[in-house]
Amino acid sequence: MRCKNILWALLVYLPATGFVLPIRTERKLPSKKWVISQNSNLRVNGSTNVNTFSCVIPTYDQQDTLTIVGNTTDQTVALNGRVRLQTGSFDCHNSAMTRQLRETLKEKQFPALYIRFLSLNKLPAATTTPERITGLVDIEIAGINKRFDISYQLSQDAQQVIHLQGERIINFSDFNLVPPTKLGGIIKTKDELSVDFQLNMKALN
Amino acid sequence: MKKILISGLIGGCILFVFSYGGLYLAVRFFPSLFVAYNNPLFNSDGSRDALFYMHAFIISFSLSWFWDRFKGLFNGAFILRGLEFGFVYAIIALLPVMWISFSSLDITLAMVVSWFFYGFIQAIIAGIVFAKVNP
Repeated sequence: MRCKNILWALLVYLPATGFVLPIRTERKLPSKKWVISQNSNLRVNGSTNVNTFSCVIPTYDQQDTLTIVGNTTDQTVALNGRVRLQTGSFDCHNSAMTRQLRETLKEKQFPALYIRFLSLNKLPAATTTPERITGLVDIEIAGINKRFDISYQLSQDAQQVIHLQGERIINFSDFNLVPPTKLGGIIKTKDELSVDFQLNMKALN
Repeated sequence: MKKILISGLIGGCILFVFSYGGLYLAVRFFPSLFVAYNNPLFNSDGSRDALFYMHAFIISFSLSWFWDRFKGLFNGAFILRGLEFGFVYAIIALLPVMWISFSSLDITLAMVVSWFFYGFIQAIIAGIVFAKVNP
């Protein structure tokens, strides 16, 4: 009789549970917050057929944080936060070039550009040895938003300052911007720009 | 009138080749002289490029009319007449325009001096052409 009950129980239990997939529970690591400090900067390098230019936003005047959330199951890392940079803060070390870049970036219409951080390919260890990682960002210039894969170098110094250095080649045309030409096209600015930023951050406990 | 138009047209073609060919070579061999043109003061979007390239004909037709009106004042061999014509144009027209440009616009002295010599040489070439075509 007892064997019969066990058999019945198995007959009911197995079909009832046998076709149900196990539910994978995402195990998220506790989030970390990094506060961006003022000595962060962004540099844009470009060239024309008569010279090269390097324009910099030397300081970051906002109080922003990046939130980093790791996921143990699939190793992905979500990165939340954005950097807002004033187009008018660009300095090309030459007043005419500075005005030209600001005009090309349509400063009057779009006074700021944004870098929105989306993800990292792995959870960074943040050690003194620079670690190469990649991640997705959205860059918004002149009202046009584009997604890019960025190469980063991340390290942490003895003062516990986290240095996140990112670089990426972008084009004026990615953002529907027209590189300036002068004197009937005899002087031309190349479409390609190299963007290089360094965020210096402190971890919030 | 016909002579003014014909010499203006011939002068315009010669100045076109000289002016833009010279500009192209100058940008190629002396690029540093042109860095200051990366300035919003100069048209950037190409919308006025056709007007820019018409300049050789505009100056040629203007100088052709001026030559026809005052050619009796320029004496000697055709090269000398062309040279004197260039000097007259440079002193009467270019010098005051360059003066006011430099005093009021955010441009460099090198730019203004180069424009002066560019216009001066254009006027000498035009003068030599006119002295031959419409003596």
